[in-house]
Amino acid sequence: MQLRRQPLSAPRPGDTRPAAQRLAGPLLLLLALQGAGASGGPEDSGWLQDAEPSSRLLSQAARAALHFFNFRAASPSALQVLENVLDGRAWVNQKKEYKFDLVFTTEFYSTEEDEKRLGQCSAQVFFRNEKPRPAVNVTCSQLIKKERRQEEDYHLYKLMKQLKSPLNAVSIPDSHGYIAPSLRPVWDLAFLGSSYVMWQKTTPFLQYYMSQISSVKQWKTNDDAIDFDYTVLLHEFSTQEIIPCRIHLVWYPSKPLKVKYHCQERQTPEEASGTEDGSAMALTELSNF
Amino acid sequence: MQSSPGGGVAPRLSPVGRRILLACSFILAAALGQMNFTGDQVLRILAKNEKQLSLLRDLEGLKPQKVDFWRGPARPSLPVDMRVPFSELKDIKAYLESHGLAYNVMIKDIQVLLDEEREAMAKSRRLERSTSSFSYSSYHTLEEIYTWIDNFVTEHSDIVSKLQIGHSFENRSILVLKFSTGGSRRPAIWIDSGIHSREWITHATGIWIARKIVSEYGKDRVVTDVLNAMDIFLEIVSNPDGFAYTHSMNRLWRKNKSSRPGIFCIGVDLNRNWKSGFGGNGSNNNPCSETYHGPSPQSEPEVAAVVDFIMSHGNVKALISIHSYSQMLMYPYGHSLEPVSNQEELYHLAKDAVQALYEVHGIEYIYGSISTTLYVASGITVDWAYDSGIKYSFSFELRDTGRYGFLLPAAQIIPTAQETWMAIQTIMVHTLHHPY
Repeated sequence: MQLRRQPLSAPRPGDTRPAAQRLAGPLLLLLALQGAGASGGPEDSGWLQDAEPSSRLLSQAARAALHFFNFRAASPSALQVLENVLDGRAWVNQKKEYKFDLVFTTEFYSTEEDEKRLGQCSAQVFFRNEKPRPAVNVTCSQLIKKERRQEEDYHLYKLMKQLKSPLNAVSIPDSHGYIAPSLRPVWDLAFLGSSYVMWQKTTPFLQYYMSQISSVKQWKTNDDAIDFDYTVLLHEFSTQEIIPCRIHLVWYPSKPLKVKYHCQERQTPEEASGTEDGSAMALTELSNF
Repeated sequence: MQSSPGGGVAPRLSPVGRRILLACSFILAAALGQMNFTGDQVLRILAKNEKQLSLLRDLEGLKPQKVDFWRGPARPSLPVDMRVPFSELKDIKAYLESHGLAYNVMIKDIQVLLDEEREAMAKSRRLERSTSSFSYSSYHTLEEIYTWIDNFVTEHSDIVSKLQIGHSFENRSILVLKFSTGGSRRPAIWIDSGIHSREWITHATGIWIARKIVSEYGKDRVVTDVLNAMDIFLEIVSNPDGFAYTHSMNRLWRKNKSSRPGIFCIGVDLNRNWKSGFGGNGSNNNPCSETYHGPSPQSEPEVAAVVDFIMSHGNVKALISIHSYSQMLMYPYGHSLEPVSNQEELYHLAKDAVQALYEVHGIEYIYGSISTTLYVASGITVDWAYDSGIKYSFSFELRDTGRYGFLLPAAQIIPTAQETWMAIQTIMVHTLHHPY
């Protein structure tokens, strides 16, 4: 079975074939079992490869991988966002587990327009039973040296410690999309915390973006670490809902991020909550905060 | 129903009514020199169950009164909005937290809001007198846009006129700009923006395009050819109530502001209220949902106005509906995966338009049918337009792809408008050369 590669050209056409997802059904499958013949594919049976995965589905999986990557890196100066999916394969099985194999490019979140440097990542993303919090295995090319990154983080940290208090700051960004330069580190740190939450909440059908910091409840820097308690508005794309999430994080440069959160789900249903068992089993730092 | 002892505001009071009450309170306060709302907040609480609801009702019954409900405790999972005076904030929040009641600060400081309103009211008396001092690289309020429209029409009355096609739910005018060099009921191109109020980049793009059209007519070959044979209708603020709300209370509001008796959530998604595949997948019958389709097709005045206008015009040949964000250019259908009959033509037209867009600033757009490119969505504008015989129906999702999303920095307004214009022009030219 031919491996389908995403064409890298601008502009990219959307698929001429039905997109997967939606609450409707699973991926549209062309052939029967791959079996042992799959190049680099899994050997356990039951996996059916989607011959033409939609670019949306692949981008969604790539973003989930990046949320996890950003959270793990715990580096507000080196946050990555998805630039383009270069190659992606998708599988689903009867147990409604989804698996993705991706190669994608990234760019710095806090970049200025003219200093666009692209990184590259490869990732495997696994969703169990359409649940959130996918298991992610991701490796990214090193865009800047580790020492340099640590310097940048420490620089951000010092800036943050000087901030008297962004407690009085109204929404970040403001309605016009503006973030005051002095508040930029706050935004980056908030995005880092939100990355954890967005990773936790992403399913094959739900994907999140951070819209705005709507309030800052606490900003403590008297001890060594930055202790940041804030509410962020997440935008879920398929339902178009805005979900307020209260996030409390503790960050110190080069240390793992500690974060707790609670999202105010407006209505019911099908999407799992952050407290439910996600697809990723092993997740240590979090519980004892 | 609910009532708050001690003269609280009835929960059913409309936002307009609430604002009037706020304004009156302020005037009264100013007159009496006593009341001050500095630091007072409005909290939104979502009670998960009856137990939590009754905890809230307990607050209601406190004497002396500590809180004042704008939207009283009714049922679990319905938001409860409660004004808390500054002096009570700490206690009330501790009460909520200790009982595990999750809340959100809806208004951080009521006095600030009142002051802003007062300032806005004063400002409305000093509005701009011409469009030359209007900043095309900033976001504007509804009043500023409507004033700009009047000035714009006055300055270009040879080819532009203003039409009022209806009224919104809160009774605001729904305005359309008509660009015409004559003739009678010429084949027309319809463009709308702002159907989802939080998508501010779309109104800003619409305004810029209006100015571009008049400045290019007579100079640019393409625009001149198009306008010599066709009319252009441009509805910049398709959802004026929602738009006003994004300025006053909730920047991320999407729907209109319609309310119905017995229904506690406000607003219908105007892009799910059209009569094509109405009520299907990709829309929601829960009034609290962001994609609530409304009780019936065209139930919303903002949608009915456009339907009535386009149907009675009878000669619209292309429809372009502008949204954000995602960077996509799409054609019908949204409600079904079934391709439209001229899908091949639309595919190639979209491809050309996106290429023209890309050549301006290198921004990449995806293109395809809505259901295969974005998501399944029912009751949408372009599906209705297509089913009504408008062969060239397109939907744009402008910048960006999520970094800023709805809060696109104003610095990107002009670049976005410039590139979008090139795509729209491509569609207009194709429509001109393929009469039907």
